[in-house]
Amino acid sequence: MKPLYFKTIALCLFVLLFSRQEGEAQPQRDTTGGACQDTIWKREPQYRYDSRLQRYIKVHSALIPTHQMVQLYGGMGLVSFGVGWDYGRRDQWATDVLIGFVPKYEADRVRVTLTLKETYNPWRLRVNEHFSAVPLTCGLYLNTIFSNDYWGRQPEYYPKGYYTFSTRARLHVFLGQRLDYEIPPERRFFVRAIGAFYEISTCDMYLISAFGNRSLQPRDFLRFSFGLKFRIF
Amino acid sequence: MKKRLCHWAVLPLLAVSCNMLEPHPYDARVTGETGVNASHVREIEEKLAGRKSFRFAFISDTQRWYDETKEAVADINRRGDIDFVVMGGDQADFGMTDEFLLMRNIFNGLEVPYVCLLGNHDCLGSGKETFEKVYGPVNFAFTAGDTRFICLNTNALEFHYPEAIPDFDFMRGEYDNMPEGVERTVVAMHAAPFSEVFNNNVADVFEYFIRMYPGLQCCLYGHGHTLMESELFNDGVRYYQCPNIAQRTYLVFTFEENRYSYEAVVF
Repeated sequence: MKPLYFKTIALCLFVLLFSRQEGEAQPQRDTTGGACQDTIWKREPQYRYDSRLQRYIKVHSALIPTHQMVQLYGGMGLVSFGVGWDYGRRDQWATDVLIGFVPKYEADRVRVTLTLKETYNPWRLRVNEHFSAVPLTCGLYLNTIFSNDYWGRQPEYYPKGYYTFSTRARLHVFLGQRLDYEIPPERRFFVRAIGAFYEISTCDMYLISAFGNRSLQPRDFLRFSFGLKFRIF
Repeated sequence: MKKRLCHWAVLPLLAVSCNMLEPHPYDARVTGETGVNASHVREIEEKLAGRKSFRFAFISDTQRWYDETKEAVADINRRGDIDFVVMGGDQADFGMTDEFLLMRNIFNGLEVPYVCLLGNHDCLGSGKETFEKVYGPVNFAFTAGDTRFICLNTNALEFHYPEAIPDFDFMRGEYDNMPEGVERTVVAMHAAPFSEVFNNNVADVFEYFIRMYPGLQCCLYGHGHTLMESELFNDGVRYYQCPNIAQRTYLVFTFEENRYSYEAVVF
């Protein structure tokens, strides 16, 4: 716990220092021809540096997450928080990165998980001016749990090829639906739209069990999760 | 639209009622019955108190064979001549929480009390903690009539040094505090000496120690997935390896005064 605490402080200090330097550098750049970040973005490039900087900013602006989300259950944590990117011609694709928290329950400690999620939304139905429904969302996500109790590949003390699976990484597949509410522009505070979704998922190990056993019911290997998606732009 | 919204509201309720809300496959969140071994040990001890003959079934390695395990439970119930069941470990394949809960629910279909031992697969991830919550301590013992059953965790490969596997302190405690009236002993474990999971550095010491128990009859174990009867140390102590449940086989031991016999039952 302690090293993590120090790391957080160090990170905060770094961010503070960095932002101060930025602030100080700003007027200096202004005096040398008004080449500040805001204006160089809009004006015609004058020097090679200008066009390079424009390209640099353009590339990195594509990395700004388009949405934030919170998801409950689904094998990625009791609660998971994430950011993601909508893309595609009709925003039919989404990639999300989520950090989840699994309470201690009977285990030794609280566990943190990381999820990389890919979603495909083939259709969107407009219900009225503000509401639209995504009748089918589907995709997969890879979850990894951070704790020494789990391994990606069996540790060396096992005989070769003893356990051929990973206890740390799980691959899930899901189907779901979403209802989006587009906030009227004058009432927007931070987000453009809020979507409520649910998903029915299963993971690799559950599928393996389900295929070999007729007696298993869908409730034994299917899992339910739900969440909110906050579309920022 | 209203109707559809109603459907949406019903889904989470359905999921909650079906226990489909899961933080993580390894969350170690145990629902339903806990401390199974302790309550079943009480049942066995009360039921068989004072008896010198009894019959029990030994099943092992049921991991991911839910269908076969269900059939074994049905077969044991159908016979009706079994007093209790001992499960030799590896009820989970990956140590995931729901594997234990699903198996417990299947075993709960038994009309007789049962106890479960810890297998090496049961230790993976948060498996051991889940096992301990659902079933109880990994080393335990109980008395069936005049026979003491000593059930040991022998999965040394799954543990790091500070944890003693096998736990000689526990074994010594059993020796020192042997209940009155015990004339025979059976030692049950998941992995036998000389298996890759056992701490073979102490295999001889282990054998030396268990032979001190009063009237040691035999040792029962699983892990190997085949039926095997052998004298591992050439000292007259029989070791019986129970096949995994996929072989659709379990062992039935009949203890009578001064003798015991066993058969492998194919269902």
